[in-house]
Amino acid sequence: MTVEESFRRLQNREGRADFEVRWPTDFGALEPGLTSVLRVKNEARSLPWVLPPLFRAVQHVVVVDNQSDDGTPEVARAVADQAGASERLTVTEYPFDVSRCGAEHLGTPEDSVHNLAYFYNWSFAHVQTAYSMKWDGDMVLTAEGVETYADLAWQLENVEAVVAMPRHPLFVESDRVAYLDVYMINVEEYVFPMGDDYRFVKAYEWELRMVPQGIRRRRLPQGLCVELKYLDSNEFDHWAGIDAFGATARTMRKLREWEVFHALRDGRHDEIDGVVRIEAPPEFDHVITYVTQKWLPRQQRPITVPVDQRPAQKPPVASGSGGGRA
Amino acid sequence: MLERPPDEAVREDALTEGDLSVAATPEPADTARQIVFVAGSGRSGTSLMSGILKNMGLHVPEPEVAPDKTNPKGFGEPKWVVGFHEMLLKRVHVNPADARPGAWFDAGRACIQEANRSRLAEWLDPQFETAESLVIKDPRISWFLGLWRVAAVRVGASTATIVMLRPPAEVVGSGNAYYGERPGDPSGGRLEDINRLAGWTNIMLFTERATRGSSRSFVRYHDLLNDWTSTVVRVGEELGLADVTNAGTGQMQEVHRFVDPELHRVRTTWDELSVPTALRDLAEATWQQLDLLAEPGGDTPEVHAKLDVLRREYGALYAEAEALAWSSVEAAGPAYVEATSRAAAAEAEAAYADASGPRKAYLRSRRVAGRAKRRLRGGG
Repeated sequence: MTVEESFRRLQNREGRADFEVRWPTDFGALEPGLTSVLRVKNEARSLPWVLPPLFRAVQHVVVVDNQSDDGTPEVARAVADQAGASERLTVTEYPFDVSRCGAEHLGTPEDSVHNLAYFYNWSFAHVQTAYSMKWDGDMVLTAEGVETYADLAWQLENVEAVVAMPRHPLFVESDRVAYLDVYMINVEEYVFPMGDDYRFVKAYEWELRMVPQGIRRRRLPQGLCVELKYLDSNEFDHWAGIDAFGATARTMRKLREWEVFHALRDGRHDEIDGVVRIEAPPEFDHVITYVTQKWLPRQQRPITVPVDQRPAQKPPVASGSGGGRA
Repeated sequence: MLERPPDEAVREDALTEGDLSVAATPEPADTARQIVFVAGSGRSGTSLMSGILKNMGLHVPEPEVAPDKTNPKGFGEPKWVVGFHEMLLKRVHVNPADARPGAWFDAGRACIQEANRSRLAEWLDPQFETAESLVIKDPRISWFLGLWRVAAVRVGASTATIVMLRPPAEVVGSGNAYYGERPGDPSGGRLEDINRLAGWTNIMLFTERATRGSSRSFVRYHDLLNDWTSTVVRVGEELGLADVTNAGTGQMQEVHRFVDPELHRVRTTWDELSVPTALRDLAEATWQQLDLLAEPGGDTPEVHAKLDVLRREYGALYAEAEALAWSSVEAAGPAYVEATSRAAAAEAEAAYADASGPRKAYLRSRRVAGRAKRRLRGGG
């Protein structure tokens, strides 16, 4: 097989040859290891929390910036430099408007540079290791999560498998106080082999990654990752509107998030069930450090309250696996 | 509650050097709590290392496994840990000296199960009531280092690993001398030699990978026997073990009494083993690289890169051997199921014989229920 034959080319309807996708076809021919891919827009605030644990857990990180105006690429490079991991970071730019989740996405053809699936394929085509890990610019690994992923990176060397993980929404009020939603179960597949069988395609509300039938699957335990939601910012910018949430199992999670976010922002945290207030003790510089390094690792399991252990008449409970969207 | 500022204000609240420092704050831990894992292939001096650390004042959780003729000076192994590892290995169908590269993924299944994480952390936490520095040694621990590190995070302890090294031919020879041949082996011991050597290669290549980037030291078995003082001081400094670097004369005397150079009884060479050339060359190359890691300052990216290549070559070699022997694998499937069913039935019979009256009644009722369930399912 020639070098070119080991890649599949995906062209776009806009004819932008400089943004064609060159997707590796042979999983077995790639270097062992795990590369995390972050598609980000204005995540400068979160990256100093997100990147350092990632560098401890995986071999390489690809940051694909999509039209940020808050210095996201520069922050990514600065954080990598400070972590001594500059050579393990790739920063690149995707300059196109990408359709927002929901109806706008549904109306965008898959082979358009504006489609989420095309954007994902282009982003993940930068991966040069056998495994890729989808990651968001607001997801922070806990100390336990770092250990778990660092092991996965080499345990996967001689097998082909897909790995899922639950994540916990953490609503950050200030550098001392945050709230963890312990009613939310949000399990998504994050780790995939590269190769022809694992490309992204278009689904209803967002993109979907193809997986061969019968592939081995593994689900990681709770307490490995929090998803930051800042109460002083608009977390729902990338949705067309609350109507776009719809009422499917996949989008019910967003309703819960929306409810919790607005209740907390309005100072009504005691009116919402399943939300735990966490205050960082003075010896910790920030509540995010406290939660990820100490509070969550030492929390009684399960962290998410099982549905049958919740009081009756509670707000709608989001659950399900796959296809989540930050 | 903070008021939501306008978007522009959020953007202007750009990252400063100070913010970056916050995020880079070292992981806080109850630093007084410390665990030293002693890992490596069996018959490589792991018991010796554990015993030395114990004599230096680190605590081996009790009760310990009792000495026997294979290890007259004691194992330095907590009984609970050995039982726990054995149970996990059995559940994931992995052998302690498993030669399959894919077995690491299988063992990883036990490492990510919440029940195992919780159980280990619950056992570990009260061990620090006895001492703040623990030694955990078991040749099986390589399979579960990730699980231990997670438990350490949960109980606020730091961790370090000592990996014991011994030439592979000696390890195979020592295994043959103390554990003997597999019953019914028609190859006159060749099967054991090959399987033990493949197991050594797999365990050492992946133990190195599993500990890379963490606090670790590599120790040659024969260095410990020749002059334990210089080796132990190096390890103490590399891992920051105050008990070791500040050892008193009484403790040194104890270690001198404990370390017996006569323990180095097996000195098998390649000439005495009948193994395929490809495997021997790969094992020898692995040993040469691991040996470099035991030198002061030898834990370098160059060595890691060579070990990465060797690990990959081993995976390819094993996959080829597996393909070659696939007919045997398929034929062994039914025999394996039959053998494990027989073993489970024998175990159940033994448990029944030892059970109390009420327990026997309970077991009888379970058998009846099980039979009924199978009939309902149409299983006869």
